[in-house]
Amino acid sequence: MNTDRIVVNMGPHHPSTHGVFRAALTLDGETIVGLKPVVGYLHRNHDKIGERNTFLQNMPYTDRLDYFNSMSNNLGYAITVEKLMNIPVAERAEYIRVIMAELSRVQNHLVFIGMLLNDLGAMYTPALYAFEERELILDIFEAVSGARMMCNYLRFGGVVRDIPPYVMQKIKDLVTDRLPAKTDEMERLLSENEVFVSRLKGVRVVDAETAIKYSVTGPVLRAAGVPYDLRRADPYSIYDRFDFDVAVRQNGDMMDNYLIRLDEIRQSLRILEQAVKQIPDGPINSQKPAYQVRVPAGEAYGRIESPKGELAFYVVSNGKPNPWRYHVRPASFVNITCLEQMCIGTKIADFVALLGMLDIVMGELDR
Amino acid sequence: MYGKGILKGLSVTWKRFWDTYTEDISWMLSGKKRYYTEEGIKHRASKHTKGIFTVQYPEEQLIQPEEFRYVPFLVYDEGAEGKKEVRCTSCGICAKVCPPQCIWIVRSNDPNTGRPIPEPTEFYIDADVCMNCGFCAEYCPFDAIIMDHDFDIASYTRNVYGMDKLLKPASYYKNIRPENYERNDAERKAKEAARAAKAAAKPAAPAS
Repeated sequence: MNTDRIVVNMGPHHPSTHGVFRAALTLDGETIVGLKPVVGYLHRNHDKIGERNTFLQNMPYTDRLDYFNSMSNNLGYAITVEKLMNIPVAERAEYIRVIMAELSRVQNHLVFIGMLLNDLGAMYTPALYAFEERELILDIFEAVSGARMMCNYLRFGGVVRDIPPYVMQKIKDLVTDRLPAKTDEMERLLSENEVFVSRLKGVRVVDAETAIKYSVTGPVLRAAGVPYDLRRADPYSIYDRFDFDVAVRQNGDMMDNYLIRLDEIRQSLRILEQAVKQIPDGPINSQKPAYQVRVPAGEAYGRIESPKGELAFYVVSNGKPNPWRYHVRPASFVNITCLEQMCIGTKIADFVALLGMLDIVMGELDR
Repeated sequence: MYGKGILKGLSVTWKRFWDTYTEDISWMLSGKKRYYTEEGIKHRASKHTKGIFTVQYPEEQLIQPEEFRYVPFLVYDEGAEGKKEVRCTSCGICAKVCPPQCIWIVRSNDPNTGRPIPEPTEFYIDADVCMNCGFCAEYCPFDAIIMDHDFDIASYTRNVYGMDKLLKPASYYKNIRPENYERNDAERKAKEAARAAKAAAKPAAPAS
């Protein structure tokens, strides 16, 4: 039968596109034959603002990149500027940083699972279950940093304030008692559900070769069978001291992309358990608090394994109070380049799920 | 068996459904109130919470941790006869460190001599621009600007706060941030004592 191709425009105000993302899909019947991601609706000149700001002033702006993981973003920026300044980080602060970064990974992956189900049509129940646990983690962030999402907690050389004892107790409670049980509960709720499994199993997301070709990082890459995790491949902070496995799955289908998030939550909890046990006493910053940090001329590139993939900062200083060049390499933005490859040949009904698998956040993607 | 996984998943939601009620009933039987009490809210934010643990905003609100930060305010000490001794010396560090540049200070001069005096005549914070990062409070050398806990500031107009709205007494500060207040107070007292000791140790300046 002779058919015409049809162009379907999804977004920028589609409920499943995780923000203001637009995709122009070309369809042949139900099959996707072309896809053009249109980004930039949330562009707010982050990199340029970063050159106007002083080094310290950039810290709260990095919160607003991937607003689910402001602690991770802070960490990425802090280690980059610390590299440039060539200063040590206080021992206790290193542990606090790891605790915070891993907690944000746990809540990010939980919300990912909830939101994935939201995209697949299981409206609200899994998402709200995930949000319950996230709420308890955000309570911790609020108590240590003062804000639930825009934490602005790290400073060059350490963190801004110590964890109060009652919050430390709360972290221990969550890490040892509550979160492992809740992760299992999430698994019980979904992993064997026949409707869910038949929707996910065998639907290709991306194979290892394509993923590497398109610089895809993070859980999507690891689900395709490439055990590449910066915490192991290029250890930053103190990750080389902890005993954990790089979660990896072989098939690269949607089911594996979902399961790897659960694996990563479990590994994060393992790291957290060790971190809260080993955390030493001591000062929380190696530097004196200063609103104008002195950064020598030079350039630095720092990268971390953020929950969404490799998050990197490139900072060039010419000795002035503000960076001469400030560039962010966000995981979401680089991962989205692979979207067309992922979607061609699949049915349009799977597009929403595939986009959900990439776990994009528009704050980070458009900057 | 097909459908086993669905039933397994449903058991989770089913358990959650009953947990909410058993939790409510057990609180009722023990004579405690789960809702609208501090104890209840605290329990619902702890690891033991079960079932639905929504906090019924605005009738009940989460207990804010001490470090919670929102649009800053200026602290004044209550002097004799209710005189407001503003701690701010209009040094301008807060305006300089503010990432979105939302602080505007007008310094004051002595009308007779024209020399600057350490108190602002005008102090504005554009609360609509403020990103609540807390840098101003963190780097203020005089603990004169403190992050507030008052977060419901929605209004029909622009929220450009002047001195009239920003000034709040030190007792208010002590009330919302007891630990920080104690720490700052001790530091201020130590500083003052050190200054006094220095002044006493210094021999009387020779008359010139």
